[in-house]
Amino acid sequence: MVGIMKSRKRKAGRNARAVLQVLQHLLLVMAVTALLIVTTGSTVVVQGISDKESYNLHASDQEKTYEESKLFNTIYGRAVTDIIRYGVIRSQLETDGEFDGKKIIDVTAYNCRDTGIPEQYVTARYYLEDLLKWQNYGMEYTANDMTVQQIRDFLNDRTMLTMVDPDSKYYNTSDANYMKADIGSYTFVDDVSANMLSSGKWDEWYEGDEVLQLNVLVNRYKTVDGKNIEEYTADPESYVRLCENVSKAMQSLAYNYDEYLTYQAYYDSGNTNLRYCIEKTVGDHTEYFTNMEDLISLEELKRGLADANMAEFFQSCFDTKFADSRSKYLYYSPSEMIYESNSAIQERTIQSIVREYDYAYPESIRIWIGVDASYPVNDAFTQGKAGFQNYLPYFWQWITLAVISIVLYFMILVYLTGAAGREQDAEGNAYILLNGFDTIPTEAALLLGMLTAAAIVGAAYAVSRFIVNYENVYTVWFKIAAGAVVLLVDVVFCYFYYSLVRRIRAGIFWKNSWLKRIVHECSLLCLEVYDNGNIVVRTWGPYIAFLAFNLFMILVGIFTGVPLLLGILVDFAVDMCVGVLLYLDVKERQNIVTGIEKIAEGNFSYQISQEKLHGDNLVLARSVNSIGNGIKTAVEISMKDERMKADLITNVSHDIKTPLTSIINYVDLIKREKVDNERVRSYIQVLDEKSQRLKQLTDDLVEASKISSGNINLHFERINVTELLNQTIGEFSEKFDEKKLTVVMNVNAAGAVIKADSRSIWRVMENLFNNVCKYALEGTRVYIAINSQAGKDGTERELIEISIKNISAKELNCNPEELTERFIRGDESRTTEGSGLGLSIAKNLTEAQHGSFEISLDGDLFKVILTFPMME
Amino acid sequence: MANILVCDDDKEIVDAIEIYLLQEGYQIFKAYDGEQAIRILKQTTIHLLIMDVMMPRLDGIHATLKIREYSSIPIIILSAKSEDSDKILGLNIGADDYVTKPFNPLELVARVKSNLRRYTMLGNLNTENNALFRVGGLCINDDTKEVTVDGEGVKLTPIEYNILLLLVKNCGRVFSIDQIYESIWNEEAIGADNTVAVHIRHIREKIEINPKDPRYLKVVWGVGYKIEKQ
Repeated sequence: MVGIMKSRKRKAGRNARAVLQVLQHLLLVMAVTALLIVTTGSTVVVQGISDKESYNLHASDQEKTYEESKLFNTIYGRAVTDIIRYGVIRSQLETDGEFDGKKIIDVTAYNCRDTGIPEQYVTARYYLEDLLKWQNYGMEYTANDMTVQQIRDFLNDRTMLTMVDPDSKYYNTSDANYMKADIGSYTFVDDVSANMLSSGKWDEWYEGDEVLQLNVLVNRYKTVDGKNIEEYTADPESYVRLCENVSKAMQSLAYNYDEYLTYQAYYDSGNTNLRYCIEKTVGDHTEYFTNMEDLISLEELKRGLADANMAEFFQSCFDTKFADSRSKYLYYSPSEMIYESNSAIQERTIQSIVREYDYAYPESIRIWIGVDASYPVNDAFTQGKAGFQNYLPYFWQWITLAVISIVLYFMILVYLTGAAGREQDAEGNAYILLNGFDTIPTEAALLLGMLTAAAIVGAAYAVSRFIVNYENVYTVWFKIAAGAVVLLVDVVFCYFYYSLVRRIRAGIFWKNSWLKRIVHECSLLCLEVYDNGNIVVRTWGPYIAFLAFNLFMILVGIFTGVPLLLGILVDFAVDMCVGVLLYLDVKERQNIVTGIEKIAEGNFSYQISQEKLHGDNLVLARSVNSIGNGIKTAVEISMKDERMKADLITNVSHDIKTPLTSIINYVDLIKREKVDNERVRSYIQVLDEKSQRLKQLTDDLVEASKISSGNINLHFERINVTELLNQTIGEFSEKFDEKKLTVVMNVNAAGAVIKADSRSIWRVMENLFNNVCKYALEGTRVYIAINSQAGKDGTERELIEISIKNISAKELNCNPEELTERFIRGDESRTTEGSGLGLSIAKNLTEAQHGSFEISLDGDLFKVILTFPMME
Repeated sequence: MANILVCDDDKEIVDAIEIYLLQEGYQIFKAYDGEQAIRILKQTTIHLLIMDVMMPRLDGIHATLKIREYSSIPIIILSAKSEDSDKILGLNIGADDYVTKPFNPLELVARVKSNLRRYTMLGNLNTENNALFRVGGLCINDDTKEVTVDGEGVKLTPIEYNILLLLVKNCGRVFSIDQIYESIWNEEAIGADNTVAVHIRHIREKIEINPKDPRYLKVVWGVGYKIEKQ
């Protein structure tokens, strides 16, 4: 399903999503309702004796019939307990199955029903109805101050003492109980004088006129014998005990009477599907307690049950009446040791219940309790069955429905979370659509969401406190109301939730929050103060703030009860932040330093990134960048100028060469003519020389400009220095001979090889040797030496040094640097041949080949030293 | 006599060249741009062409290219452009020689002669001889110990002859001063000596038209000497 949704994702428009959202709400309502049904349905409320009672349903009973279920057996067990107690109360209050107001109650015997009556006791007997009425009215005592004599007069002379026959089997046993045994036949009443009993001699301890206090019971009703209570005893102690017995019996009976009425109504044959029959035989008297009077008369019952098995009797008797074969019953007869039941009630259960009331049930008791499974009456059983049938068969269906609904709910939630806010415009470009609510500040939206949710839940809670009680939780209306509340909460939740998702997706969750705005404004303010402040503000300001904070934290630690550790931690955290800030500042500066180094190395186009820089660093970076730009521009312009100059010189020299060609040629032609005039011949000679010199000059000019603008191609190869010098000397041998110059060559590094361009190095040598030829003093020696040198710091490669020394013919009155400048020559008169560019070209070419060119002048000694790195 | 076409947009230069060549007995045709030169070439039998590069309408380079499509006559480029790259370009597109302005008239005449000899005479001068070594216009007959350049006899000393023979026999190979010394003098070369270099210079002056820009005996500076393969 998810897969299908995903494939439609692009097309799932707003409408489809709205439908999905509605579906989502409905699913949640469904889930909640189902869960509510499961939880409320699992308890069944039935009409109990006094109030509604609830019972749990058990899923394990799903396969069973109602009559086999735990619910049925619980209700049934409860009823069995009730009936047994009801039987006890009935035997106290009834005679032959009817309430008997004239029933005679022996108060002391009644009170001793649990323990058995003592062997002798003082008692009084009242009519049941008198006791009930008396209890209803209330007992009254009068506290009288009486002298011993007065008491003696008030009480009887003799005590009516009831005694158990010592020969009877009930003598001194707990079976001596008026309810269980026919004890009337085993007791007799003895009228004894006071002094026959030890307590009867009470007055012997007092003086006759001594005053004692005695609580005297006001006799509202007389006993069966028409007597007052004080007439039964002679001593005040037994009088008081007798009064107490009357009171206790009265209370107990009144309580039981209330219960009797309740049970009577609840277990009346018209009000219950339960049928019971308790047969109780005391002596030769048999009593029946039953609610089956409408089915069978007492006589028939007596007759039918006389010697029969009770269960079988009822089985045969009521087979037709108990229409349903599912009817349950139990039959218990301790004297016969019979227990029969087709229900789940165990024998020991009923045994323990009966044992609780064993003062009322002799062994000869027989109990039969059945349930009419045709349920003619709407009672607890019927209600239980209704609940059982409405709920249990559908238990798993409801659970499944709830689970599926919840799973679907979350699937839709996940899908809609993924799709929330995603829209496509007409061109199919995705964008995030936000509604008005999405754009209000995040905190406001969150607050609003929480308040709304709180309001709904609060309102629901408040309303439920007034309306909802234990019972109407089980009604349909409650479920609808709960569903409505859940729907409302879910609608609100989804509205806020999807809004939140859209915010996060559009990236405005943080951007749109007040907190972000506050943080942003604060940081802007700090930066503005920092960036615009002068040096004092920028250095002392933060430092003082830092110190003040630390001081403040220390003071807080000292003067308030803030735990020291907490203070130290906060202080430490803030100090760490300051440290990090300092680190970042130095890091920014480090970037600038790196940039300056790069520019210094010649990388003029390097730019320091100005992002994330503040304050001084920003100013510094900007300035460095602008300096770098300036240098870069200057270098570019200078390079361009140099190239343009070289081009210009080249072009000009071409243009000069063409007319020069004609001049040279025609001068030559004139020379060939036979010119007789000596002067004309000398003029022509001048023309010839000067035109030749002009030719040389243009060539040198082009070459010099080309070299100095770097516009030459060099092909480096291995050059043997000795060979080179020998070749050069060979080339110049005639010239040297002409000027009578002697070459003295001194080779200290034979076979030394350097890396150079063959033609260029020749050009260097040619220029230098030409120089020697032109300016050396005639008849002197020219010293040429080749030496090897270690590198300057020892680690570099060996250097080859070529030195050429000669004696200048003229006085050298300039400094060596000027000699290599263009158009500078040793003699400023410029009369000799040469362009003045020779040394300049030689120097530039040497440097282009990674060598160094050095001229030194020492008096008339002219010395040129070339140094090249040696090649291995 | 040979017909020579001189082509230059500078009329005075053309006239000067005409004077020199007329003195040598050549017949001269004159053109002042490339198109004119091509036209004359088609109309007349021309044996050699001297051509400027920078000319109006059709420049020397393009004209040379066109001429080379149908003619193999010697072409000497005469240009103010003296860069190496210019010379290389001119020679590569089919010129036989390259002379830079301002030129020495005698050198130009010598080159004209040389080129004409090679074009008209040397092509069919051929006899199989083991003792005959030839590089371009340079020819050594080891039997007669005669050396000719473009057919002209050259006089060399025995040492110069031996050096030249060594280099021509091993045409293209570079010999250092020491190697030459050892093989000619049959002695071990001791230390620096410029004797060989002086001899080489003398040979160049005898066999080359312009010793500073030699065609045959080239100096490999810092390494040695060689005869360039033609």
